[in-house]
Amino acid sequence: MLVKDVMRSPVVTVGPEATLEEAYRLLLERGIRHLPVVAGGRLLGIITDRDIRLATSHLNPKGPCPTCARVEEVMTKEVVTAHPLDPVEEAARVMRERKIGSLPVLEDGGLVGIVTGIDLLDALLKLTGVTEPSGRLEVRLPDRVGELARLTGYLAGRGVNIHSLLSYPEDGDFVRAVVRVNTLETHLLAEGLRREGFDVLWPPKKPW
Amino acid sequence: MVIYRDEYRLYNFGPDHPFSPVRLEMLTSLLQALGVWRAPLFPPEATREEVLTVHSERLVRRVEAASRGERVPDLEHYGLGTGDTPVFPGMERAARVLVGGTLEGARRILAGEKRVLQLGGGLHHAQYDRASGFCVYNDLSVAIRHLTRAGLRVAYLDIDVHHGDGVQWIHYEEKEVLTLSLHESGRYLFPGTGHVHEVGRGEGVGRKLNLPLEPFTEDESYLEVFETLVPWALRAFRPDVLVVQAGADAHYLDPLADLLLTTRAYERLFRLILEYAEAYTGGRVLITLGGGYSLDGAVRVWTLLYHVFHGLPLPERLPEGWLKAWEERLGRPLTPTLHDPEAPYPEIPRRPEIVKRNRLTLERLTELVSPYLLD
Repeated sequence: MLVKDVMRSPVVTVGPEATLEEAYRLLLERGIRHLPVVAGGRLLGIITDRDIRLATSHLNPKGPCPTCARVEEVMTKEVVTAHPLDPVEEAARVMRERKIGSLPVLEDGGLVGIVTGIDLLDALLKLTGVTEPSGRLEVRLPDRVGELARLTGYLAGRGVNIHSLLSYPEDGDFVRAVVRVNTLETHLLAEGLRREGFDVLWPPKKPW
Repeated sequence: MVIYRDEYRLYNFGPDHPFSPVRLEMLTSLLQALGVWRAPLFPPEATREEVLTVHSERLVRRVEAASRGERVPDLEHYGLGTGDTPVFPGMERAARVLVGGTLEGARRILAGEKRVLQLGGGLHHAQYDRASGFCVYNDLSVAIRHLTRAGLRVAYLDIDVHHGDGVQWIHYEEKEVLTLSLHESGRYLFPGTGHVHEVGRGEGVGRKLNLPLEPFTEDESYLEVFETLVPWALRAFRPDVLVVQAGADAHYLDPLADLLLTTRAYERLFRLILEYAEAYTGGRVLITLGGGYSLDGAVRVWTLLYHVFHGLPLPERLPEGWLKAWEERLGRPLTPTLHDPEAPYPEIPRRPEIVKRNRLTLERLTELVSPYLLD
């Protein structure tokens, strides 16, 4: 999954000369929190609802800034950006490490989109979510060559289609695989997998 | 009134498939052996046009072609020809026969009948544009649509262990259909949907209710949330008729799922459903069967349903001859009493946590939908 798959475009932007009132009204009208500041096709900075509220509030530890009237006086000038072909996880890592809420997406110097935390939540939902009627299998695999292939091979051999597969490392040398399969009969699959020596965590073996 | 015809058993995916016509054969033979079977109403099969009231032309065309043995390259895209819903010759008509039974039930309700028990159907996974999870055509939705087109407000109650996704999605934007599904959480079980936050769209907002339950939920916790939620929702929605999918796969013996209901909970549920119909829908209720894959469990649950439906006294033991014949045929012992034995499974150590989680889920659901449902 790439940034271009999750980013929003076209982007709502604001000019550096715009007043804070104008910028804030735009944020409210569009229901957004981030405005890239653009002039002459170039990204000059970014301004957020928080920037504007702090600049105009007596709650700001530095006090309100009565002379700050225009966007360019308040915006962040060193903007952290992404490229459309960056992997989503890289965008997530940058946003997490810098503790920022969005990345304007630049291609050849031009603004082509924006990624926010909400878009990354959408990506997470897409990766983990249920898009087709399906059952769920959870298997703990030894972290070594061929284990996942053995699992998916077994499912293919049973004529089962895999709608999604999520895996993540566990303590010890294990990988947890969560597989969504196009069947109601996951208990039967689990039984078969156990007979093949797999450690199936869900569905459970019933003692009766 | 009971609706049934032997051709329901044509809906047959093969000898190893859990949705087996043997269930109906066992059930009707048990009712006969108990001496309570009365000649049921013989329903017509549904027409193509009736099926098309809830399904797409392109799905129906594919079901027809596959059913004739023609090769259809994109069959899997329509949920057919899969391990769960394989194709068999004559499938199309078999599916229409089941739809016909449930639809006939709806017609009878419109003609003034109060209680109808359709001994088949309940294919709640079938969607507008795809077959799914053993279900080719959605008999419930065809019946519901027939009722709403006649101007009735319909409450649909689904106690199958799986989420009633097909019915929910088909009526998702409809104001006059309340769907109410209690099921094992989609986090664990097929089809993966049925979260509390699926509440409907457009005019249907707040009229699709889902109560996903924890795996290993037992009688007491199930009944507690059921008795709080269902009368509350029915009172608020003011339906004209109640349609019930009475799947028996929340039973503890069911091999496909993880809820732990016993026949005692089912007896109470069936009595409550009839009481609620009396209290909130003028007594009008149409009940179908559904999932239920333990022959031993499902057949006893539905025998209970038949008795409660007719107000018959419950037999304690099952007839010896019937038991002997079926134990021989199945090659395994069957429970000899109508009810499950006392404490039929080991104690569940997580019980208090499960009870608490189910209460919390009910709270969340109530918070989410009450502003819509009560307006």
